[in-house]
Parts: sequence; structure tokens; C-alpha cells
Amino acid sequence: MSRSEIRVGGLGGQGVILCGTIIGKAASIYDHKHSGMIQSFGPEARGSSCSAQVILSDEVIGYPYVRNLDVLVAMSNDACHKFLPELKKDGVLLYEEELVSFPEGTRPAKAWGIPATRFAEELGRKLVLNIVMVGFFAGVTGLVSRQAAEAAVRDSVPAGTEGLNLKAFARGYEYGRELVGGAA
Amino acid sequence: MESVKLPAKFALKNGVEVLVRDMVRADEPAVFEFFRLLPLEDRHFLRNDVTDPIRVHNFMIDDTHDRVRAVVAELDGRIVASAEIDRNHFGSMTHIGQLRVIIARELQHQGLGTILSRLLIADGVNAGIEKVLAETSTENKAAMLALEKMRFRKEATLKLHVKDLAGRKHDLAVYSYDVSHIWDKMEALVADYSPMREY
Repeated sequence: MSRSEIRVGGLGGQGVILCGTIIGKAASIYDHKHSGMIQSFGPEARGSSCSAQVILSDEVIGYPYVRNLDVLVAMSNDACHKFLPELKKDGVLLYEEELVSFPEGTRPAKAWGIPATRFAEELGRKLVLNIVMVGFFAGVTGLVSRQAAEAAVRDSVPAGTEGLNLKAFARGYEYGRELVGGAA
Repeated sequence: MESVKLPAKFALKNGVEVLVRDMVRADEPAVFEFFRLLPLEDRHFLRNDVTDPIRVHNFMIDDTHDRVRAVVAELDGRIVASAEIDRNHFGSMTHIGQLRVIIARELQHQGLGTILSRLLIADGVNAGIEKVLAETSTENKAAMLALEKMRFRKEATLKLHVKDLAGRKHDLAVYSYDVSHIWDKMEALVADYSPMREY
């Protein structure tokens, strides 16, 4: 059985929950696997710590919480250092490199950073940084296919914003593929 | 809004089919020719003297770096329309897009302006623009009607603001199309408060 446990963490207003939702939707609806998501967010709409636990599996998911974290997607410094201890030894860390820093010698071996906020701003809207992260996740890990993730993005964002969101996805995906040495 | 993939062919009301594509630097002689052939009264309200090759060159290279996208329409290898959407790249109005469309006389009132405008508005939204502005003389009833059909709203009439060739002053209508509601929904969606909210 193939089971992948993912945690997306960041601040309210960064689209953490939507990022997790899209990953799960891509896997279950468009890649025909199983997925589950547990979300946690503070009472404020913006600024509070929030996270999503996403499980992807080839089989029916009996337990929807993270036990052995395979991939941590960190969009803020606090979220990164809060959840990093959960990451298993050979787990993958994907982080917003302009918001996350590591004390000397604490950066995990399998860690890839992306300036997602800057990319989103360059594309025209800072609020698509979470979609850049979805693309980065798909590009680096390959846990969801590009086609499935794009379909999930298109399906999850408000009508009229699909174009910019898909550009944001492509920016993150291609950056991720380049980092891991794969063709975009 | 998903951008229309260009080049693409569009049929106009009179049955003529035009090719719409992105404007490229190599178009400079053809664009210059298109502008040169415009009747003086159509050229008069443009920002630049488009009979000046240096002005056209600066337009082609986007010397202000404010352009979001520029397209041209071709018919039988000739350029018959030019359209662009610009935005300020710095300051308090980076969210505002300015739409400019110029159509050759032979193809005016055939829906080409609407086709080009819709295409560029989608690009503007995809670039994060929240409000698109368009200006026209109040004498140009066809342009005003076309803008209103595209859901532009007249925001202001600047009285006696523009001069025609004879030096007579005319009113200028300023239209806007507010697309910020599209991004308000996205903002609500990334609020990380309740993903179950309706949008």
C-alpha cells in the first residue's frame, strides 16, 4: 500500500487550507486515488497559525491524521519549525524560502525552497502564492500529476481567476522540476 | 478568466474572418503602415503622432514597460486593428488597466473592437488588474454602446476635454469595468477561516 502523509502549514490568509484541499482533490478526483484532509485554523481570518493534514493513498484511508510525515509544505517560519520535528528522517521539506530561515546546520537534507510570494507578486497577485506552492509540491514530489493538479486548481478557484492561478501553478511546478533536475 | 490562445481566427458580423495574434517587434513596418492609413480624424484622438516612425518604434518596444498585452488583427496579411491593455508598473494605480483599441475604418462596427477588448480584459484580470478604463469621445455613440454592452459603466464625462481637428472642443466619456469582485472571492477563499464558505 502506498500512503503519503503531507502537512501544509502557514499563516491564515496565505491560503494554506486551499493548498491542502487542491492537493487532496487532485489526488482523489483527478488521479483516482484516495485522499483525506484535516484542517486546523485559528479564530482570525488572517495572521493566525493554521495547517492542513492531507493523506494520499492507493487504498481507502482508515486514519486521516498524520503519523509519519512524508512531506511538509511550510509557508511561514513558525509553521516550518513547529512541524519540522514531525517530518520523518528522509521526509521532504518544501518551504517559502524568503519567509523561512534555518539556524546553522538544521536544514533537512531533502529540503527545497521557493520564493513563492515573490513569484506570486511578479505574476500580479500576492494571494496566489498558495497556488505557486501547489505547483512546487507537484513538481518536486510527483505525488500528484500535473494534469490532475491543474484540473483541481481550475476547479477550486473562483470563476475569472483561473488564468492567473494556472500561471501561478505552472511557475511553481516548473521551478520545482528544475530544482530536482526533471524536465518541466 | 482564461486567456484566449493566440493566434486565433474570429468571424466578424460581415462574415469576414480576421486573424488575431500578439503584436511582435517585426510588425513595426506593418503597424506603422496601419496607423499611417488611418483617417486623420481617427488618428487625432490617439496619444501619439503615429505618423512619426520614432513614436511608432517607441510604441512597439513598449518604452514605458507598462504594457500587459498588445495584439493586432490581420486581414489578407494587412494589419487592420491594434489593441493593448496597459497598467502603471509602480504607484497607487497598478491595479488599473487602460484599454486602447484602434480599428481600421473598413472593419469598424463589425464587432472586432468587442472581440479584442474581451480578449485583453481577460489578460488584464489574469495579470491582477481590478478595474479596466476606456475613454471615448461622446460623439462616438457606437463605441459607447459597445462599451456598455461589455458591462462598462460610464464613470464621468469630462466636459469640453478634447479638441477635434478644427479646434472644436468635445466631451470625453470615461468608462470603467470593475473586475475587483472576482479577486474579492479569491481573497475570501484564501482567508483560512472556513473553506466551506460559499463564494
